[in-house]
Amino acid sequence: MNEKAEELNRVEKKDLFGSGHRACGGCGQALAARLVHDAAGENTIACVATGCLEVFSSPYPDPCWRIPFLHSLFENPAAVASGVEAAYKALKKGPVNIIAQAGDGSTADIGFQCISGMFERGHNVLYVCYDNEAYMNTGVQRSSFTPYGAWTSTTPMGNPTRKKNLPLIAADHGIPYVATATVDDFRDLQRKVKTALSIEGPKYIHILVPCPLGWGHPGELTVKICRLAKDTGLFPIFEIIDGKVTNVKKIPVKVPVEEYLKPQGRFRFLFKKGVPTEKVAEIQEIANQNIERFNL
Amino acid sequence: MLKQIEGSQAVADVVALCRPNVISAYPITPQTHIVEDLSVIVGQGKLDAEFVNVESEFSAASVVLGASAAGARAYTATSSQGLLLMAEVIYCIAGMRLPIVLTCANRAISAPLSIWNDQQDSMAVRDAGWIQLFAEDNQEAADLHIQAYKIAEQTFLPVMVCMDGFILTHAFEPVDIPEQKEVDDFLPPFKPRHIVDPRWPRGIGLYADPRFYMETRYILHRAMEKSEKTIKEVSADFSKTFGRDSGGFIKTYKLKEADVAIVSMGSVVGTIKDLIDQLEEEGKKVGLLQICSYRPFPRQEIYNVLKEKMNIVVLEKCISLGRGGILASDIRWSFPRAEKKDRNISSFIAGLGGRNITVDDLRYMVEKVEKEPVELEFLGLKKELIADKDL
Amino acid sequence: MEKLPLGLALDLRKVVPYKTGSWRTLMPVNMMQTPPCTQSCPAGNDIRGFLRVLAEKQDYEEAWHVLTRTNPLPATCGRVCPHPCEAGCNRRDFDTPLAINCSERAVGDYGLEYNLKHKKLISKRKEKVAVVGSGPAGLSCAFHLTKRGFQVKIFEANSEPGGWMRYGIPSYRLPNYILKQEIEKILELGIEIECNVKVGVNIPMDHLTQHYNAVFLGIGAQMGASIKIPGEDAQNVFSGVEFLKLINSGQIVEIGKDVVVIGGGNTAMDCARVAKRLGANVSVFYRRTRVEMPAITAEIDEALEERIMFRYHTNPLKIITDEDRVVGLLCEQMELKESDASGRARPVPIGDSESTYPADTVIMATGQAVDYDGIEIRKQNDQWISTNENLMTSIDGVFAGGDAVLGLETVAVAIGQGLRAASAIEDYIEGNLESQLSPPPVIYSKDLNTYYYTHEKQFSKKAVSIHTRLKNFREIYPSFDRQEIIKEAERCFSCGLCFYCGNCYMYCPDNAVKISPSTGKYDFDLDFCKGCGLCAIECPCHYIQMTLER
Repeated sequence: MNEKAEELNRVEKKDLFGSGHRACGGCGQALAARLVHDAAGENTIACVATGCLEVFSSPYPDPCWRIPFLHSLFENPAAVASGVEAAYKALKKGPVNIIAQAGDGSTADIGFQCISGMFERGHNVLYVCYDNEAYMNTGVQRSSFTPYGAWTSTTPMGNPTRKKNLPLIAADHGIPYVATATVDDFRDLQRKVKTALSIEGPKYIHILVPCPLGWGHPGELTVKICRLAKDTGLFPIFEIIDGKVTNVKKIPVKVPVEEYLKPQGRFRFLFKKGVPTEKVAEIQEIANQNIERFNL
Repeated sequence: MLKQIEGSQAVADVVALCRPNVISAYPITPQTHIVEDLSVIVGQGKLDAEFVNVESEFSAASVVLGASAAGARAYTATSSQGLLLMAEVIYCIAGMRLPIVLTCANRAISAPLSIWNDQQDSMAVRDAGWIQLFAEDNQEAADLHIQAYKIAEQTFLPVMVCMDGFILTHAFEPVDIPEQKEVDDFLPPFKPRHIVDPRWPRGIGLYADPRFYMETRYILHRAMEKSEKTIKEVSADFSKTFGRDSGGFIKTYKLKEADVAIVSMGSVVGTIKDLIDQLEEEGKKVGLLQICSYRPFPRQEIYNVLKEKMNIVVLEKCISLGRGGILASDIRWSFPRAEKKDRNISSFIAGLGGRNITVDDLRYMVEKVEKEPVELEFLGLKKELIADKDL
Repeated sequence: MEKLPLGLALDLRKVVPYKTGSWRTLMPVNMMQTPPCTQSCPAGNDIRGFLRVLAEKQDYEEAWHVLTRTNPLPATCGRVCPHPCEAGCNRRDFDTPLAINCSERAVGDYGLEYNLKHKKLISKRKEKVAVVGSGPAGLSCAFHLTKRGFQVKIFEANSEPGGWMRYGIPSYRLPNYILKQEIEKILELGIEIECNVKVGVNIPMDHLTQHYNAVFLGIGAQMGASIKIPGEDAQNVFSGVEFLKLINSGQIVEIGKDVVVIGGGNTAMDCARVAKRLGANVSVFYRRTRVEMPAITAEIDEALEERIMFRYHTNPLKIITDEDRVVGLLCEQMELKESDASGRARPVPIGDSESTYPADTVIMATGQAVDYDGIEIRKQNDQWISTNENLMTSIDGVFAGGDAVLGLETVAVAIGQGLRAASAIEDYIEGNLESQLSPPPVIYSKDLNTYYYTHEKQFSKKAVSIHTRLKNFREIYPSFDRQEIIKEAERCFSCGLCFYCGNCYMYCPDNAVKISPSTGKYDFDLDFCKGCGLCAIECPCHYIQMTLER
């Protein structure tokens, strides 16, 4: 039993998502991709959606992947992964880890149909959503994961709607494992990937990945911003195992949302000459609701 | 074994004989019976395959894309709206050179909604890089699937077998269903060229910047052109093995001596042949050029058989709105400019939305073109329904 | 260029990665910085170095060698040093500073217990250096010179080496056997020593300047300076220096029942606590208040614990004697006015405040001076030896350091001076005029990323009870648990030097931090580094900094 725990908690660095990709400096998604695939190991097939990840990682002739990857379209990695899984079953090959992955736009909007279908059919596929809270690759347009009040190029006055809660929607499909994670706590993220891959059935991991360009902060603050997202309560960290919310990461010292909003250029319109507007209080309310709901 | 079965059942039985590993489809009239029959075959254990019930045609195509990329022989079927919904994936599959076989039960396209047969749907994706084969009757529809897998897995081009919805899919005809062993001998196991497998890490679906994209399209175009050889070879092979003619590039019927040549494809050729026989008894010489492979387009072959024919009429169940007959323009293009001067090539649009094409309609058509060439005419159009002010 | 594969499906093993390093405008560099503990240490000890050895390798032997590179007297300093390093420790702003002093003592004691030997650096040179005085300054200078290959002879005026450490610091603070063993280790390097030889009296200075390539004077300030009040010549009136020397030489001194110690420095505290252990009631008279007392805080605290009475604002005027024996002390009260030349508040007598206090012994620990007997040399303020910035005196080739130059300072200061002098002597002998490379800049806690450190309790040393203490002259702090010291060492932040936390390695989105197969250290792969700066921000000890790309 202890060996298993050791294996689960061991930090992996194999660079299966290698150097030479064209991500911006400090890209949270590049970091997350490497952490996820190193945790999954070499016996993995990645089904990737069009988006920042695909575009910066797989140009011909020098993709940075060291494990096989399959990319077709923007909205279908879940369906493609279902096909790969079905093929492996039919051909009696494997076992193999199949990770379908996409950004927030592909997961929550245009690809919602596909992942709902994949979850419902019960394929043995891990779905990873890299949530950078907008359609970053096409120029920072709004998605249904864009948080309230954020500037995007299609909501220049601040996003008027609240972030869709996909982890809960995924859990309600009856899948055995759902988790949220951030890139600053790499041990936690890798443990969650390994845990997920040890369970049969559809799994969903939702990773918050700061985008320096789209969020308007310097690349070096990526890890710090993740921490602030957690510590303000705006991004709760938890697992849902067989429908029950568990392993909620409690916040040791609650941080007011201003500290999270101020360093990001996309929230600059929430402050007039450094003074927060009423929107900030509304965002604080969202954070408070999260804290209460998940008992952070 | 000869069976009196529904066209859909025949296709399902034959597809099962091809031993696909992954079948994924979404129901849409008139393809439904094919996938229902296949699910029964799989469910009863007669075929060891994964049957994935997806939530849309887009996902169905994506699932077979993924399955094929993982090394499985994959199959799907759809019609009209479904084909259009999966259009993105259709192009993707061709670009990735995955040998998938798809049955298109040809059906009209919304709006207005129509579940009945015409060929507008497969025409909509004619430029995608798929081989498109048109079946004349249920026997050919069944046979083409076996040939399709062989063609696809040799050329690494996906193949779309088009059969007219309802007219073929829901008609009961005697069809010879081959034995499993015969199919196994004819169709060897699938040997993929590129798959995703951790043992041999490959990237499939990289993106190409302007330095490389054009060459990929050139390669695809040339591959389609060269697939003519494979299509003909496989058809000849099939004839030898199973003892009947089926598929191929083009077929002709009493064309050599004809004064009027009718060009068409799909199930309507059956009706055309009936007319030709009738007219022959009346002393008129009319012939048929049947297009079996619409993509790759058999331009040279068409020219070869039609170059003596000065009166040609093209009958098609599709239209390029704002331009005219699609097959008609293709036929007109098959002749060099100099040889078009004294030649009549008439274009008739018929059967859209499932409108019945009778022998009398065809007779009217032949008589019309004997008198003068027709630029474009909708056969059997009900003028009484059309308000002048809407034209 | 390769031909396009079918369907653009690429064999990943044939890929040549695209070098994104060309995108950079900023570049990460590893910049070792000086931690504030080293900066605060007068001896310049590599404190971070020996603590990290304890923390990472649990290796006391290696830790001892790291520490004795600069300080040859760790067990001594671990007992008597007022540890300015702890005041500088960056961890002070996070929770509590490292217990460096206790760690030093644990390491020093280990060296004694396991009889570790100092390592010589290079082979012998022909030059000879004379060192006058075997206190901390002299021993340190001799140590460092010998390690550089010079032949050294020490001339010691007393009968045993050790200087003020031997004759000034009482044994409950620094047991004699500890000091003796440490000095023996130093001498084992091949240093010649002659005791009972007072340079200037038994041997003239010229003898040394003629027969040696250089001379170091570490003669300390072991002469008591009196305050010149009537009655000073009576029996049982000692200067602080005298008293301590007698006690530390093993002499029995009859001090009677009531002892008054005058003065506020370390010597006064030592005298008071010694007298207490001899069984007397002890009072310390000081003309200012505790705040102005120059003694080490810990000394004053321990003296108070030992129930020594402190009378502030009290200035002695006259020693009252009866047949040449002390019976009492006449004093006046003082009040404090604005600061005088020493920077402390100026005491001014309050009129009509005289009173008499009974005393059997008066110890005047009111100041010390250098014993220049037979030595002609330029002085500053007519007190201390004058030296230039290279520690050379007015006599060419004669260097000086320690209390004799700086006034009453600590053992650590003297050790640091000895090291500096050894360097200066080496430069002098080699004719090297170039100044040394300046040490790397200091890193302060504002530049650390303390998120990755966890709060841990500081090691605390436990003293034996007061009752037990006063019964004898044994150490009041028994030896420390070595495992606990290692736990304490693990609290070290390693400011300014990589401690292999792996943050840069794990956080780089471009996998541009690699582990060098030869050294095991983290290195930057500049072919792929995009200069985003994540590594620099997440480095807890600020070892990685971003600079402009060249």
